[in-house]
Amino acid sequence: MSYRDYVIAAYAVFAVVLLWDYLAPRLQVRAALRAARLRATRAAAARAEPTELQR
Amino acid sequence: MTPAWKAPPFPPAPGLAPCADWYPCGFMRGPMCAATAQATMSPLIRWFHQLGSPPYFDRFAARWAPWAYLLGLATMAVGVYGALFQVPADYQQGDSFRILYIHVPSAWMSMAVFGLMAFYAAIALVWRIKLCEILAMACAPSGAAFTLITLATGSIWGKPMWGTWWDWDPRLTTELILLFLYLGVMGLYAAIDDRRNAARAAGLLAIVGVALLPVIRWSVVWWNSLHQGQTIRMFGESSMDASMMAPLWWMVVGTHLWFVGSLLARARADNLRREAGKDWVAKLSTGGAR
Repeated sequence: MSYRDYVIAAYAVFAVVLLWDYLAPRLQVRAALRAARLRATRAAAARAEPTELQR
Repeated sequence: MTPAWKAPPFPPAPGLAPCADWYPCGFMRGPMCAATAQATMSPLIRWFHQLGSPPYFDRFAARWAPWAYLLGLATMAVGVYGALFQVPADYQQGDSFRILYIHVPSAWMSMAVFGLMAFYAAIALVWRIKLCEILAMACAPSGAAFTLITLATGSIWGKPMWGTWWDWDPRLTTELILLFLYLGVMGLYAAIDDRRNAARAAGLLAIVGVALLPVIRWSVVWWNSLHQGQTIRMFGESSMDASMMAPLWWMVVGTHLWFVGSLLARARADNLRREAGKDWVAKLSTGGAR
């Protein structure tokens, strides 16, 4: 009684789900930091732009 | 003691002695100024208060999550090696019993994580601690992942042993309901715009859902079940041979360590999203002070 294919399938599911569990938060952190960087860039550009009174 | 922050996060309460040193998480409730309180409290309590500060937690999670992942992976690698190559095949089930080494630790994690999520949610509801809201909500996806592994590996194990992929057996059905509860918590948290209200609503669902855990645990005792009864006991004699136990404990420790890494990483991501407009996040995103 080998059932090798069933064992391989079960361990593959385990590996794939844990891989997702590892990658998902990393991608979320990266997306959050990219959004913050874009927000900071926009804020800096808005500060650098002369206002109506300065013109 | 040199304080790292100078600007007060809120105006001092009337009657308090003016002080230049301010604690960033808003810890200023007592009759003494925050810096004095910080200096006099025990290191453990101080660390606990510091952990409530979003920038501090971000640094903490960024530092320790990779180590927890790495330790978890190494421990699980030892467990998987033992499970696949060292332990002899079962005299009845053959090699299919090797699925136990991922199925059982995942099943235990699926329930333990739900309990932890409800615990954090209860603290967040009673004391309104923001970090506990974040941690409670970070538990849900990891717990759902372990529940999914439990159901999938159980199904794969069931096909050669029971002759079917699925049966509406009490243990299987209650575990499926647990997955739906996890998905419900995640869905509720995502559905409400205000993060704090969302965490409170989803936390309440988590607390109510705890009632399912003893039902899952005792389902094989209370009802006639296709699923086997309790094989492994923490206390008392297990019905599994001792020579087969070592990889299981490696896997149990490994999945716990992995979960710690996942919890910290997910909580960090949520913390960053919540604090998106703050200066420290802007500095961090541009490679500034960590």
